[in-house]
Amino acid sequence: MAAHTKRYALVIDTKKCINCKACVVACRAEYNVPLAYSRPWLNEETRGVWPKLLAVSQPEQCHHCAHPACVRVCPTGASYQRADGIVVVNECDCVGCRYCMIACPYNARFFREDKGVVEKCDFCVKRLARGELPACVETCPSKVRVFGDLNDPKSRLAELISDREYRLKKPEAGTGPQIYYLM
Amino acid sequence: MKTIEWGFLIVNYLFLGGLSAGLFFVSALATFLYKLEEPSPYTRIARLGALLAPWPVMIGCGLLVFDLGRWYRFYKLFLHLRLVSPMSIGTWLLVFFNLVSLVNCYAWLTAAQRNALFAKLPRALAFLRRFNYDIDPWRRHLAFLGLPISVGVGIYTGVLLGAVQSRPFWNTNLVAQLFLFSALSTGCAVLILGLARRERSVPELKLLYGLDICFMVLEFFIVLPYLIHGQLSVQAVQDSLKLILGGPFTILFWVFFLGLGLLTPLVIELLELVPVIVSNREFHYSRPIAAGAALLILSGGFLLRYIFVFAGQMSAIQ
Repeated sequence: MAAHTKRYALVIDTKKCINCKACVVACRAEYNVPLAYSRPWLNEETRGVWPKLLAVSQPEQCHHCAHPACVRVCPTGASYQRADGIVVVNECDCVGCRYCMIACPYNARFFREDKGVVEKCDFCVKRLARGELPACVETCPSKVRVFGDLNDPKSRLAELISDREYRLKKPEAGTGPQIYYLM
Repeated sequence: MKTIEWGFLIVNYLFLGGLSAGLFFVSALATFLYKLEEPSPYTRIARLGALLAPWPVMIGCGLLVFDLGRWYRFYKLFLHLRLVSPMSIGTWLLVFFNLVSLVNCYAWLTAAQRNALFAKLPRALAFLRRFNYDIDPWRRHLAFLGLPISVGVGIYTGVLLGAVQSRPFWNTNLVAQLFLFSALSTGCAVLILGLARRERSVPELKLLYGLDICFMVLEFFIVLPYLIHGQLSVQAVQDSLKLILGGPFTILFWVFFLGLGLLTPLVIELLELVPVIVSNREFHYSRPIAAGAALLILSGGFLLRYIFVFAGQMSAIQ
């Protein structure tokens, strides 16, 4: 098979989520994120009227957009997009102006007061380099998260996207989000 | 994890940056208008504007630096130029604006002021005395060079906010012009305040009133389409406008910004100037009225930035 450029993305199967928050804990353990913030989080929602109630929990994090607004507005290029689509922050170049936080439609970024820089999910690029999965994906007990390469048609991720219906969040922002929520 | 990231420091910076841009713009306009042979009212406007212009923006830049995560990392902004980032463009615009307005300020010093300034230098800096040049002939060139940069600074403060597609309150093509004309009118207001202190500065005030009326009318006719278009736009924009149409900023926007900060001084200045032009009456020279109108304009300009910075960050695509 010819070599292809990778395009990492994430599929989230909301219906499987049991709101255990293991993804949040795993990420916190991996990156030592202060308790006030979190890279991934869970949107919890209750629908309906008693006794017919439905509790929905939906994981969210940086969407690693195809045209990231955070990268465009960054004055120093500290926020940038790798060739494989992952949007990362280079802490050395970040001046902490927080323009990217304002530009992000998903509020996926937070400001580390202790370091004076902005931080967010980076799909665990260090783990990827070792051939491992992102911490949240690996730890999820109900297999909500499927991480993979969009450009590899044989990947589980590409299969899910072609077989199942999905929705993107806030596509009208024009940033081309890359988290696919299965219906 | 939605938070208000840009607070009072940014509001103050946007106001001070705009104020400097306005001062320089009006001063440069007056420089083009004045004739060298006669000491005309334009000269006094040009001088006062040139002498005041560099200082607010310098304070504003200081505030910007202290708003960063770590202030000492600000130099990294100067290691990069990213033409897609309004903040990066703005950084460089501010550098050039500070330089040009400082040199312009120096060019407008009288010979006596210049000599007094250099006489005050401590001995360690005595070598700087060799820079005691008379650069009066540069004034027009500096005005010519600085005019587009001052307009750039005035526009950029709005583009900085308007370029964010995820904040519907900001993301219209009208915010940049709104901020520009508000900036120019605050510059006028400071000059009115400064010149109204003098005994008789009738021709100066007439000119400044005329300019100010133009800027405020333009500002008003940008606020109107901003509101009308917003109401006719997509749901996200309509929702974001609820912040000033029934939301937390309603009274601040309608009463204090639009009413007291824009329309009241506009009416005052029109009542002062129109009879002079239309029925050739004598200019009703009133220092308290001039100062009052100027202070209202300044508070209106500040409120506009306050409302936009905070309301913009509270708006979002749902």
